Amino acid sequence: MQENVPLTWEEVARVYGRKIYNFAYRLTGNSDDAADLTQEVLLRVKKGLAGYRPGSFEGWLWRITRNAFLDDVRRRKRRPTVPLPDEVDRVAGHSSPAPDQVLANVRLGEDIQAVLLELPYDFREAVVLCDIVGLSYEEISAVVTAPIGTVRSRIHRGRKMLKERLK
Amino acid sequence: MTHLGELLSAFLDGEVTEDERSRVGGHLATCLACWDEFNDLNSARTAVRSLLILDLPPGLIPSQEGVAEVLPLSHRPPVWIAAAAAAILALFIGIATILAPPTTLELRLDQLSDQYGARTSLQPSLTPRTPVPVLDQGAIE
Repeated sequence: MQENVPLTWEEVARVYGRKIYNFAYRLTGNSDDAADLTQEVLLRVKKGLAGYRPGSFEGWLWRITRNAFLDDVRRRKRRPTVPLPDEVDRVAGHSSPAPDQVLANVRLGEDIQAVLLELPYDFREAVVLCDIVGLSYEEISAVVTAPIGTVRSRIHRGRKMLKERLK
Repeated sequence: MTHLGELLSAFLDGEVTEDERSRVGGHLATCLACWDEFNDLNSARTAVRSLLILDLPPGLIPSQEGVAEVLPLSHRPPVWIAAAAAAILALFIGIATILAPPTTLELRLDQLSDQYGARTSLQPSLTPRTPVPVLDQGAIE
């Protein structure tokens, strides 16, 4: 976990904005909701940065992100929606794979995303924080305020469900 | 035989102790069921990790210059300030146009000649080049 605390809110936005957006997209499956959530998180960071005390900055940031997501879910009183098949236009990176390969990746990505959204929230969150955001079990434990054993169990069960449903 | 269960995912993520690592390695060498589960978990993990990293939609994070993109509307300058600034600017341009002396577009040939002479003195590259003499190879030797 990175302990170097970015000094300004703009730096936080530039360094973590994309990660926050990807976390949000993988949880919601909707690009508009993900964009709204990213903005909400950045606003909360802007308000909270002055009061931040040195410690685990990423832990602090991902707790804000998680809380913003849960607040949004509660406010809307609805379940996340089905993902939009619009990933082709937003493929990141500088390499240029063959069009067939891109299309295959996108279709596979849509399948995986759809199955992710079928997972119970706790499992999905643990898998996304581990495999998309790249946090350690200890960091995830701090973000979701659950014991490491619980985190390990959620990740394991989430992956098993994913595999079963992707077959 | 006790199967590995959750320990397999932790092993894949490098979240095990040395003892657990040895135990997993030894068990996988002899238990086909755990070996199959290990492969399933590994493929699920790889699938999620292979998801595209999406780019941020344009304008979602602040540019180098400012943070206006993510500020809520209530934090932005009121529209009337921009309208007032535009009105003042238009008024100023109008007055300046009325008060300015008329200009003429007539150009005389000698003026053009003077301008060209001035430019060539400042920018030698505009001066026609003299041909570069071709050296005789025998003369150099």
